[in-house]
Amino acid sequence: MKTATRDRLFEAACCAAAMVLLAAMAGLLAALVWGGWPALHRAGLTFLTSDVWDPAHDIYGAAGPIFGTLATAVLAMLLALPLALGVAVFLTELCPPPVGRAIGIAVELLAAIPSIVYGMWGLFVLAPWFAAHVQMPILVAAQPGSLLDRLFASIPNGANICTASLILAVMVLPYMASIFAELLRSVPIHMREAAYGMGATSLEVLRFILLPFIKRSAVGAVMLGLGRALGETMAVTFIIGNAHGFPKSLFDSGSTIASTIANEFAEATGDLHASALMALGLVLFIITFTALTGARLLIGREIH
Amino acid sequence: MIDVTGLDFFYGQQQALHGVDLPVARGQITALIGPSGCGKSTLLRSLNRIYMLYHAQRAQGRILFEGENILAPATDLAALRARIGMVFQRPTPFPMSIHDNIAFGVQLQRRVSRREMDEIVENALIRAALWDEVKDKLHSSGLALSGGQQQRLCVARGIAVQPEVLLLDEPASALDPLSTAKLETALVDLKHSFTIVIVTHNLQQAARISDYTGFMLGGRMVEFGHSTDVFVKPETQALRDYVTGRYG
Repeated sequence: MKTATRDRLFEAACCAAAMVLLAAMAGLLAALVWGGWPALHRAGLTFLTSDVWDPAHDIYGAAGPIFGTLATAVLAMLLALPLALGVAVFLTELCPPPVGRAIGIAVELLAAIPSIVYGMWGLFVLAPWFAAHVQMPILVAAQPGSLLDRLFASIPNGANICTASLILAVMVLPYMASIFAELLRSVPIHMREAAYGMGATSLEVLRFILLPFIKRSAVGAVMLGLGRALGETMAVTFIIGNAHGFPKSLFDSGSTIASTIANEFAEATGDLHASALMALGLVLFIITFTALTGARLLIGREIH
Repeated sequence: MIDVTGLDFFYGQQQALHGVDLPVARGQITALIGPSGCGKSTLLRSLNRIYMLYHAQRAQGRILFEGENILAPATDLAALRARIGMVFQRPTPFPMSIHDNIAFGVQLQRRVSRREMDEIVENALIRAALWDEVKDKLHSSGLALSGGQQQRLCVARGIAVQPEVLLLDEPASALDPLSTAKLETALVDLKHSFTIVIVTHNLQQAARISDYTGFMLGGRMVEFGHSTDVFVKPETQALRDYVTGRYG
């Protein structure tokens, strides 16, 4: 075979691989729209705005799971972001290399734990501890009707939005920390020398030099973490409490889109119920897609 | 102003400086010359302890700066480096505008009003012989400048914080002859306000601008004296060989 022909074949193969991916993506989207259409058509906008999810009467309003998905993911990111940054900075900037390597391995081990293990740990260890040592004291201390009461009122069983966010935070932490560390390492050493050489302290070098330097890619890392937190299923299903309504407080049970699908798919005997779950899948697809596209746009805008 | 005595320096197990002495006179330009790997950059990097960024590197001996031993563990490194500024071999503009590159260091030290900052920036750029080339684009990125302009920006950034000493590590090695000439002119003008220590590969450069010259070889200070003496009548055979181009 002539080299030119061979090269053209190679290029065609690469192109085909990319096309297969696009086709799979399009097929998935089409299947979700197709499958979810009956439920969406029947419920109309109330599918997004109502929080009544009643399979027995074929009424499907997904506001509860949608809100739960966004709330747990955002809370998890708020918890994980400063931690991940702290870990990354300590690893790359402050600690002596051997210690850094040890912690680096520990962080990677954290990422290697399957999500169902996190779920079990959450249900059997974190939830009871959280109920006894956090929820109960707050419940006892809160005056009925006070802000504290409204924020945290709940049944003290430890399975709620807050504990789910905690678990999610632990799960996305290693990803973000190792990407942050990688990014910090990619900042040229002479940049650091120049900044320290000006008389900057570690904190100032981080704030004014390192963070601006990695800002763009760091947004990408955060969005990857957010994507994972939005779609995470098993661990959340274990610990979020699986209540369909709109969560009334931080410590109230709730559900996410993924946990609802995981819980109900096996029992979705009615056509409309199955369709409603497909529609939920479509919503999750759109949310995740929006988050990632948003990140792309943000990144694009920073390139001058 | 600075007095180095008996300085040993180690990269891990490997010793790079052996009992080096160096007096640095106030308001003068002191040049350090010698072949690659002779330890001149290492000596320079000891003066503001920038080597502390690397865990395996350490220095022993005494470096007196205004009478205080800066090698003492209690030294406040950020404060020290504000008094002893440094310009590196490669231009290192920060990823921000020209104006902010200079404002950065000043803001680390003290709060400055907008108008005062504009004056400081203009002043620093004028003294670094860069003002005319950038005055219309102060708010564009420092990374967009040419290599020679970037290096003069780094000099401007260094002097804007008004250090007492300015360390330059082969500042012209990446520059074309014209940029080098501009940089040298700026340095000679600067020595009235700052004490300058410069490491250079370029003997002509050392001879042109320096008042004192130290010649190093194999981690030792072989010869030190007035530049006129050192270049015109070198005492050691090694320096004679170096000056006549027998080392790389």
